[in-house]
Amino acid sequence: MTLLSDTRYLFVRYLKKLIRNPILLFFSLVQPIIFLVLFTQLFERFANVPGFPAESYLIFATPGILLQNAFGSALQSGNSIVSDMDTGYLQKMLVTPVSRYAILLGRLTSDAFRVLIQSTIIMILAFIMGATPVTGILGMLLMLLTIAFFGLAWSGISLAIGLKTRSSETVFAFGSFLTFPLLFMSTALTPLDFMPDWIQTVSKLNPISYTVDAVRVLMINGFVWDTILSAYLVIGLVALITLGSTLYLFRKVVS
Amino acid sequence: MSNMIEVKDLVLIYSNGTKAVDNISFNVKKGEFFGFLGPNGAGKSTTIKVLTTLLRKTSGSVHVAGYNLDKDAKEIRKMIGVQSQETAVDGDLTGRENLMLQGHFQQLPSKTLKERVDELLKLVDLEKVADKRARNYSGGMKKRLDLATTLVHRPQLLFLDEPTTGLDPQSRLAIWEYLEKLNKKEKTTIFLTTQYMEEADRLCRTLAIIDTGKIVASGSPNELKQQLGVDSIKITLKDCAKDRTTAIDLLKSLTGVSNITESGDCLTAFAKNASQLIADIVRALDSLEIRLAGISFSSPTLDDVYLQKTGKRIRTEDLVKTPSATFMGRRR
Repeated sequence: MTLLSDTRYLFVRYLKKLIRNPILLFFSLVQPIIFLVLFTQLFERFANVPGFPAESYLIFATPGILLQNAFGSALQSGNSIVSDMDTGYLQKMLVTPVSRYAILLGRLTSDAFRVLIQSTIIMILAFIMGATPVTGILGMLLMLLTIAFFGLAWSGISLAIGLKTRSSETVFAFGSFLTFPLLFMSTALTPLDFMPDWIQTVSKLNPISYTVDAVRVLMINGFVWDTILSAYLVIGLVALITLGSTLYLFRKVVS
Repeated sequence: MSNMIEVKDLVLIYSNGTKAVDNISFNVKKGEFFGFLGPNGAGKSTTIKVLTTLLRKTSGSVHVAGYNLDKDAKEIRKMIGVQSQETAVDGDLTGRENLMLQGHFQQLPSKTLKERVDELLKLVDLEKVADKRARNYSGGMKKRLDLATTLVHRPQLLFLDEPTTGLDPQSRLAIWEYLEKLNKKEKTTIFLTTQYMEEADRLCRTLAIIDTGKIVASGSPNELKQQLGVDSIKITLKDCAKDRTTAIDLLKSLTGVSNITESGDCLTAFAKNASQLIADIVRALDSLEIRLAGISFSSPTLDDVYLQKTGKRIRTEDLVKTPSATFMGRRR
């Protein structure tokens, strides 16, 4: 299967690019770490409010911060395809018999892998600070898997925009534009009951909430399969839309 | 199959309505060194993109390496090597990794690939920096690496879109020598576009000149020069803006002048008997008090062919040697 081997070669290419630019990886971790250290300190007493669903704000917010990081990373994923288009590298690949879909798949899998690495680092840091998941190692692995799947689904949007606009500025602006409103209007950093009514409504429609809730039950409550499966359903739906449009636009570029 | 490329009635209209290629037909023989010349925006790169399966043509028929472009794009991609105008090497990867990756794209087995990569690194003289990241290479080194990546799978047909643009004379000469060797020894058919006449004249055995999407002339460099059949006299005026029209009128009145073209501050008159005319021109201009900055004449060059066919002057900088004084001299 050339699709698989080509995907592997391209995955390795993107991975090398990632490892060889450690500063980029470092800076992308700065924001979630600030949230993890400062933001959770700032809101520590939030946990004392009656009805707060966790014993500490840190343990409550860690799933949200993990997904914030995954979301932000995924939304920058389109930059690399823009850069390959700008430098002519995409064309260089397209005049070879390399599998067209491998170009996309290599990109997506390496993005997911990147999110996986970042999430592991954040999770370990949170663990050191005292956020221990009740589901143990197995739960942690399932959390990571869920987050990676989530990142994969959302990187589709960024790739689609990159393919359509061919401008990394637009990709970047769109990413920053989308991140905070969607995160603040989800259950990432605040319990649902604590929100004003209208934000509750938005939050219930917000796909991010579903994933946050799934990661959070793994952290706090245990393997609550209802919550976990509905998250996968929502992520699957998002993936279908974003990756579908990416595929459509990519076909237009490569034909 | 004696033709490596067969193009018949090719038309390409971009989605915004621009007709980039307007009904062109040409063949490139197997083993040929073929030059595709034309001003910027004439349709050279667009044609290459169609032939290399990157752009879908509007109409016409194209065969590359015996395969029909519409049906067997994938087979064509295995046969061709393509160097585009942009130097597309991945700066985060080393030279060796760039070559290996390209070999993987071409589905070469690992063992053969490793040997081939060593061979190519030697060939383009990048052995010493093979394991350094390409980001740190000089422009010439990147270009050489880029060329090497297109050769990994020993393509039968090589497309080169302005391969030496922006290179220093030394690197350019090295690439020329290598391309000549590739064409002669490995029998690789080469399709080259260039803006440099000297490059076309030295390397190509057959040329086609394209302008605004149409092929305006084709043949071997010598045939094209002979077609022109006249010498050219280049006249540079001290005050071009003031004297140009008077000078043109004067040149037109001289017997033997067949055509006059303008470019920059320089007029070029085409005539059969340049060596006799030149004295007349100097005298006549002098009598009208038109000051000359320089005058020279030459037997037909590809430059002149190009200028006559497209009305544009190609880059005239000398590519390898420094220019010798041409005032009143005869140059080839």
